[in-house]
Amino acid sequence: MVYKWDFNFLLQLGPLLLKGLENTAKLWLVALVCGLAIGMVMGVFRTAPSRLLRAIGTLYVETIRNTPGLVQLIWIFYALPILTGMQSSAWVAASVSLSLYTGAYSAEIYRAGIASVELGQWEAARALGFGYLNQMRYVVLPQALMRMIPAFGNRAIELAKATTLASTIAFADLLYTAKMIAEDQLRPLETYTAVTLIFTAVLLPVSYAVVLLERRLGQKGSVHRD
Amino acid sequence: MTYDWNFSIVLKYLPKILEGGAHTLVLAGASIAIAAPVGILLGIVRQRRIPFFATLAVIYIDFFRTSVALALICWCYYALPVLIGVNLSTFTAVTIAISLQSSAYMAELTRAGLQSISVGQWEAARALGMPGRVRMRYIILPQAARRMIPLFFLLMIEIVKTTTLAGVVTYPEIVYEAYRVATEIYRPIETFTIVGLVCFVFLFSSGRIALYLERRFAVVER
Repeated sequence: MVYKWDFNFLLQLGPLLLKGLENTAKLWLVALVCGLAIGMVMGVFRTAPSRLLRAIGTLYVETIRNTPGLVQLIWIFYALPILTGMQSSAWVAASVSLSLYTGAYSAEIYRAGIASVELGQWEAARALGFGYLNQMRYVVLPQALMRMIPAFGNRAIELAKATTLASTIAFADLLYTAKMIAEDQLRPLETYTAVTLIFTAVLLPVSYAVVLLERRLGQKGSVHRD
Repeated sequence: MTYDWNFSIVLKYLPKILEGGAHTLVLAGASIAIAAPVGILLGIVRQRRIPFFATLAVIYIDFFRTSVALALICWCYYALPVLIGVNLSTFTAVTIAISLQSSAYMAELTRAGLQSISVGQWEAARALGMPGRVRMRYIILPQAARRMIPLFFLLMIEIVKTTTLAGVVTYPEIVYEAYRVATEIYRPIETFTIVGLVCFVFLFSSGRIALYLERRFAVVER
């Protein structure tokens, strides 16, 4: 028997899927902004002169990178109410967990970016009377950031993929919405095919853009690769 | 109110969690066993620009490297059986899903490795009168493989992490088993703390072993 494809019901349920996509995008944006901020602090910690700060940075990065994202998410989902006393919601747990997740990976990008700036730049800034933080803030980071942009692009793509983890704790993202629709309409084939295609349709152009950007920056000067 | 932590009860269930971990590793092993050869082949086809097949390889690679593992797993488990009319076990479905994506990553890795070999090596091999396949087999691949080792280890560790998603379609891997234990004893945080520790110990030590092997065997250019 040949399966009869039928995408009509999906067109009717389109608004539902769009709502799911919107939630996915919201989660992505929050986790990206927070993650890059956490990553910057931890990346600077990882290159700091203080041994204590370096240890904190290393502990954080190694912990997150050596445990699966799903385990982190579930742990935070259950631990949040106990640690903070507030009711746990899938949204908060997913935002916190994915921010920490992105933070660890981007900390490594910051670290490599900072390490790629020549020693002479630090010395020149010190010669001009800048303190450590000001050397970092005004001389090193601005130069490092340019080199890190393509790596951040790849991180953003990986984060978009990771947001689907939130569907396992019933956050109404695109994948979770699709699961509901598939069960409701008894049409898993079309629904999951559509979701897979939506993700690729969004992420593939972004990925090409990152490659292009990398090439253009690469022509201008050295680029740190993720 | 402070939470009353109780790890001892979870430790009683540790064998169950570790059994889940073993299932996770079996799954990862199967996925790597399929993804590595397929990926290497695709990478070569793409890098050598073999007419027609290279285009197919590009489509395959680009599609699966930008698709989402969890969505692929759901697709292979819920949708693929409808399409082919055969019931798939959770193990088969997840293995297919992870292999599809990992082979795309592996192909990119292979391509990068091949591209890093300088043109001079090809020319030298040709000057010695070697035909194309021999050049690839004896001159280019061995050099590229040594450069690919660090990234290959990274990919293997990523695959192990990805297999923890298999619980979503009820394959009894570590997270799935942990959920069952957690609901049985009403201790989700302790259970998942233990799971996190188990994962950390395993992944961290494999990372260190990989680093050691890299230093021994791989050529790392800086």
